[in-house]
Amino acid sequence: MTPQKTHAKLSRRGFLKASVGLSFMVGAGGLIAIETQAAGSPALDVNPWMTIRADGTISIIFPSTEMGQSSYSTLPQILAEELDADWGDVIIEQLNEDDRTFGNPAFGGVLYTAGSTGVEGYFDPMRKAGAQARDVLLQIAAREMGVDKETLITEPSAVVAPDGTRISYGALATAGTDGVQIPKADDVPLKSFDAFRIIGHDIPRRDVPGKSTGKAVYAIDVTLPGMAFACIQRAPVEGESPVSVNDAEVRAMPGVLDVVLLPDAVAVVAETYWTALIARGTLDITWSETSPFRAYSSENTMNLYAREAESPSQTPAVWAENGDALAAISQADTNLTHAYLSDYAYHAQIEPMAAVAHVDADGKGAEVWAGTQTQSWTTNTVMEVLDTTQDRVRLNMMTMGGGFGRRTAFVQDYVRDALLCSKSVGKPVKVIWTREDDVKNGVFRPLAVQRMSGGVSSDGKLTGFHHRVATPTVIGFFNPGRWNAVKPNDVISMRGAESKFYAIPDFLADHVITQRQARLSPYRGIGAAYTGFAAEAFMDELAEAAGRDPLDFRLDLVEGNPRGRHLLEKVAEMSGWRNRGDRAMGLAFAGYHSSMAAGVVEINLDQDSGEIALENMWIAADAGLIVSPDNAHNQIEGAAVFGISCALSERIDIEAGEVMQNNFWDYDITRAYQVPPIEIYMAQVNEHPTGVGELGLPFVPPAIANAFHAVTGKRLRHMPFTRDRVLDALNS
Amino acid sequence: MTKFTLNGQPVEVDNPPEELLLLVIRDGIGLKGTKYGCGAAMCGACTVHVDGEASFACQLSVGDVEGADITTIEGLSEDGSHPLQKAWVAEQVPQCGYCQSGQIMRAAALLSENPKPSREEIVDYMSANLCRCGTYNRIFKAVERAAQEV
Ligand code: FES
Ligand code: FES
Repeated sequence: MTPQKTHAKLSRRGFLKASVGLSFMVGAGGLIAIETQAAGSPALDVNPWMTIRADGTISIIFPSTEMGQSSYSTLPQILAEELDADWGDVIIEQLNEDDRTFGNPAFGGVLYTAGSTGVEGYFDPMRKAGAQARDVLLQIAAREMGVDKETLITEPSAVVAPDGTRISYGALATAGTDGVQIPKADDVPLKSFDAFRIIGHDIPRRDVPGKSTGKAVYAIDVTLPGMAFACIQRAPVEGESPVSVNDAEVRAMPGVLDVVLLPDAVAVVAETYWTALIARGTLDITWSETSPFRAYSSENTMNLYAREAESPSQTPAVWAENGDALAAISQADTNLTHAYLSDYAYHAQIEPMAAVAHVDADGKGAEVWAGTQTQSWTTNTVMEVLDTTQDRVRLNMMTMGGGFGRRTAFVQDYVRDALLCSKSVGKPVKVIWTREDDVKNGVFRPLAVQRMSGGVSSDGKLTGFHHRVATPTVIGFFNPGRWNAVKPNDVISMRGAESKFYAIPDFLADHVITQRQARLSPYRGIGAAYTGFAAEAFMDELAEAAGRDPLDFRLDLVEGNPRGRHLLEKVAEMSGWRNRGDRAMGLAFAGYHSSMAAGVVEINLDQDSGEIALENMWIAADAGLIVSPDNAHNQIEGAAVFGISCALSERIDIEAGEVMQNNFWDYDITRAYQVPPIEIYMAQVNEHPTGVGELGLPFVPPAIANAFHAVTGKRLRHMPFTRDRVLDALNS
Repeated sequence: MTKFTLNGQPVEVDNPPEELLLLVIRDGIGLKGTKYGCGAAMCGACTVHVDGEASFACQLSVGDVEGADITTIEGLSEDGSHPLQKAWVAEQVPQCGYCQSGQIMRAAALLSENPKPSREEIVDYMSANLCRCGTYNRIFKAVERAAQEV
């Protein structure tokens, strides 16, 4: 049910009689060692990235974690491509420990799956390592055949000599490494992109059959012999703890094994989840009620951030700067300033938080089954909670029922809950948060106030642009150690505000780091989910002030960005932008990191109810080289669908420190009937891949706001565009 | 003791009659393909067929299904060969996959009621189930593909 541990696999080699294969160790610069796996040799002290076995199978480690983005398939594909492997021979193995040899180069070697960085970060090292490994196999083949290596070629999983003799990779892997040198990474030629057989081709996802038959196993499905179940009542307000609880009474209920006091919660552990759930309902807990968070409500928070955006109490942190934006704006022929608001938002992954922990008898080690976006921080959680060392941590990284940033924290509370409950009852324990628990104890996309100013010249050009974001640091909350290293630059809070796809002569983006008044987390698109809204809706306001078509106004700004220009022209052509007449269409050009997307939406507005419906959506995207085109299409479309409810309905309110929403009845995410036909164009570019997971989201809210303006002449500046806000705008 | 038929087999369970059918199926009987998402009839991750009708297993107590004929994703086909499951693979629908058992079970109920649904009927019917990964357009295409095959 769970993937085999790499070490366990290696140590079983002793049972086999002959040399069983060849293992390849990879570091940041490429291949660093190869080792023959002979009978009876001791286990390797490093994990191999790849092992080729006598039977021809090729195991490749998947170093990230899987939450639906399919990188568990795309990352090994990159290595397999340069190795020239037959994809059918490849076995993918989940990395189940915090082994930094496999660290994500995009995160300084931490094992962390987020921000659409998997393919981008691992692309070069995986290609190089694959090419080096292929060279090693060529050397072995040359030795075995007694020919010059240069005369040999490879075909999928085999080396072929000019006379047609072929030796399979499996056979070469057992031939020994005598005389073989590991080539320098830079000396081995890489394939040209047009020679790829795997990258850029549609390789069916291997998880699809299991996910279409109910066989895929998530953390919430893990069952162990003798396992108990826990239901957790968490403090209603951050920073509070249980002062008293009727634990003796609840413990006496049939089937209840224990009532465990956690630092900020009370857990009921029972023989079945049903019993735990019922027993939780009978808990009578007095909370400390002393938290400063009791003073916070989202409405006041919004007002506070709005004041801070206007006149910050501290010097804002400059996020991106070019020339002198403030001077350019004040000297412009026309200038304007508007505030853009956005509420807290919740991840709403369909699998709620769940984890299974089995703590060792001495309380100093554990095996954990969890779906998280990071082996490193899950390991950290276990080490912190049990006050133990890394060698006592045994992880099983489970495929996740959605992530979207929800499972990234440095200390993961649901894993902690499972550990403490298991330790207390001396059995494996599964913790499941109910949907209400998941909403009430969510970690949110921060509430933000963005003060936008810009200037245009009398000949209709943008002359200056100032994007000020008043929002807390997200990193400072979910990973304080990281914040110390990067402060005051918070990419999670600020991404997108750099407007880097445009050349704006005088530009400033700055961050007013406000006080945190709720739990925060990365969310799909991170900052770009709201900075993209403000930047691109305001861009339309500036275009209007300049008397220009929104497309022409933007085309001026992408003269130095031909790939971006192509996307704008392409989406205009796809949507019939130039001939749109009075259709309710809106355009936006946003992106994520180095990936770009130009999008157009067409809406239908019900002026009586204030409901906005999407009629059509067109997207032109550029994420560099696309490793898996069909999957990329699915990811871009999925993010755009996410963007629809982000724009229209997703909103968390906090009153007196408590989250007001409960479940999907008061937190609406996009449903089937709200999804328009979506046409996606992906530019064919042979440039380094830059990620597709968030790309489809940031343009959606501004495109909708811009379409709304096209029909009504009014602006929507507060996301989400709920019916009441739409009606307010109509009546303004 | 509650007796019902599950995926064609008679079963008897001694869970309290008020216990949720969803938990009995998942933890008691051990079929994990049916998922918990909201417990509130809002997401459809727990969709099963009760006497042929798509039903939320999180909204039923096990006592409610005495004598009923229940099908879960595990019973839809033995080997993933139901036309919808093949269509799901052909259209490469799932991302995280967590909602997909429920989506397929709902779609299967639709096709047995209405073998040739229009796009509008598909969209309408499927709107009871949430997919946070946003695979809806692929779901529509896969249902249409399966409808052509049956
Ligand atoms: S779990 Fe039953 S509808 Fe969501
Ligand atoms: S595939 Fe992830 S929720 Fe539907």
